[in-house]
Amino acid sequence: MKRFLTGVLALAMVLSLAACGGQSGSGGSDSSGGGSSGGSSDDGAASTELNIYMWQQYISDQLIADFESENNCKVNLSYMSDNADAITRLTAGGGQEYDLIMTCDAYMESLVAGDYVQKLNLDNIPNAAANINEAYWTAKDYCIPYLMNYIYVVYNTETCPIEITCYNDLLDPSLKGQISTIDGARNLFPIALIALGYDPNSTEESEIAAAYEWLVKFNENVVAYGNAEQNLTNGTASVALTFDGNASWAMSEMGESNPLVVAPFTDDAVQLGFDLYVIPQGAAHVDLAEKFLNYICDPQVMAANLEEYPYSCPNDAAVAAASEAYQNDPARDFNYKENVFFQEDVGDALIIYNDYYQKLKVGE
Amino acid sequence: MKKSIDEASDLQAISRRRDVRRKTLPALAQAGPVSVWMILFVTIPMLFIIYISFMSRGVFGDVVYEFSLESYQTLLDATYFKVILKSLQVAVFTTVLCLALGYPFAYYIARKPPETASKLIMLIMIPFWTNSLMRLNSWLLLFQTSGPINSFLQWSGITDGPITFIYTDALVVLGMITNMLPFAVLPLYSTIEKLQKSLLEASSDLGATPVQTFLKVTLPLTFPGIFSAIILVFIPSLGIYTVSDVLGGGKVLYIGNIIKNQFGSIRNWPLGAALSVLLLVITGLLIFIYTRFAKLEDMEVV
Repeated sequence: MKRFLTGVLALAMVLSLAACGGQSGSGGSDSSGGGSSGGSSDDGAASTELNIYMWQQYISDQLIADFESENNCKVNLSYMSDNADAITRLTAGGGQEYDLIMTCDAYMESLVAGDYVQKLNLDNIPNAAANINEAYWTAKDYCIPYLMNYIYVVYNTETCPIEITCYNDLLDPSLKGQISTIDGARNLFPIALIALGYDPNSTEESEIAAAYEWLVKFNENVVAYGNAEQNLTNGTASVALTFDGNASWAMSEMGESNPLVVAPFTDDAVQLGFDLYVIPQGAAHVDLAEKFLNYICDPQVMAANLEEYPYSCPNDAAVAAASEAYQNDPARDFNYKENVFFQEDVGDALIIYNDYYQKLKVGE
Repeated sequence: MKKSIDEASDLQAISRRRDVRRKTLPALAQAGPVSVWMILFVTIPMLFIIYISFMSRGVFGDVVYEFSLESYQTLLDATYFKVILKSLQVAVFTTVLCLALGYPFAYYIARKPPETASKLIMLIMIPFWTNSLMRLNSWLLLFQTSGPINSFLQWSGITDGPITFIYTDALVVLGMITNMLPFAVLPLYSTIEKLQKSLLEASSDLGATPVQTFLKVTLPLTFPGIFSAIILVFIPSLGIYTVSDVLGGGKVLYIGNIIKNQFGSIRNWPLGAALSVLLLVITGLLIFIYTRFAKLEDMEVV
């Protein structure tokens, strides 16, 4: 009996430990391999292996499979759990294990300045120059934009008690426990800064402190951080601050009589961010990485990808080639697409942001 | 004569060598792999965490290898004090509830015949065959606003509108208890099972009421089990972050979440390490208190 119990308890502990590791583990190590299977390419010979580090649930499996069979290669996808993961890979070493790393526009300036990413040979990626909208292409020689995300407000016209036309409406007391919002210091603070009339990328501590006070009030109305699309569809939240891709998912989930609408903002700018691919210094399979980038910039390929992941896309030709359902998506039915701001490098002020963010999440 | 001395010392040397072979080698073979394992995967990482906690942080979230007490100074900030207090509260609450639920349950099982008892123990373990995140997410599905529990409550007329269960402290506590209950029941069961019935009979023969017997005989004799249950439940509930992440909606932060955030999105590794060291100190303190009351060898894990 005792031995049996020992076994059972040991099993329980191992299982619960494994479960605890599960969440963070999905960020990195459980993918199809970190790419040490010895596929370093000889000069001249085409690479047969491509290692990509990116967000999970963000690229069509079919697209990857087609690319593999077309180029007779193996694509290894590893997933990050946070933007900062990719930055650590690029700056603190380990970047050369990958041929392509996904990061976002906010970090490009310092990544280029720190010489962490390779200059691209755009001649080998003709589809990019032909199709990608220049307005959405920062640090053009160093990255290829993949998809882009508006962070805006959507609400349920049936359950939300008020009409929301600016960020300050989110503080309305009638919305208590109604808002499901994205998380992260650099996503939340700009919204507060804009609501207060400051620069969304402010580096002034007094302004960030004021934004913190705004967010404390906002926090009272928040029901959950993250999972906005589920919380909208299952009725937990009537308002969400989320990415347009997630809003699109929620709206299509609601079916014919979708009550979700994009908030008709009048003046406040919304955040627009790009996820883009860079080739880290020391990458082993640059030739295949370039082929891959060219492949995803093909309008037909990207249009098919957009069916599965209906985010906004900087590839104009792909958007034109996409289905009617994508083009008429209610999640992109708003008229302030030009009234956007971008996340910029805030330098040392990042520490101030993180400290206030910590304080916000701990609560008083 | 001289020859016999030589012989004796030879014999001694031989027996010493034999001793080495007989005692040290088996000991090494038995404890060696475990020691290597512990040193590699417990001691070294722990020392590294302590080392990092005295370093400084870079802007990009990298660890700058310069000595600094900054992280420990940050810990003195009232915000962290509050988090620690809040985490301690929840951990104590979980432990008390687990004991309150686990003790009668373990008592009930221990009084059953062995075959029935092992089946009942198995029942406790079955939920643990699935990943804990799965279990947490199923709580979320059950309790969500349009979920089965709310639908039932409205259908049966107990409530008018849907009740917000999810992302509340109550659901977090429920999640904690379901996760931790086996760690309370198993050690309690094994001590209660060993409790000799004759002692209880003697107690009642001598005129003690059932309540007196329980308080004066059963409880003191099962104390080692109670204390291991406390340790086994309290320590993990202090550090666990998945429950409040999933069921608390990222709104309720405990010390485990803060540590996770320091190593994750906020990227202040030295502070995360300092917080981990703090948790280690609290755990060590608990074990120390235990040794004041009882011997560590008596700790009844199973």
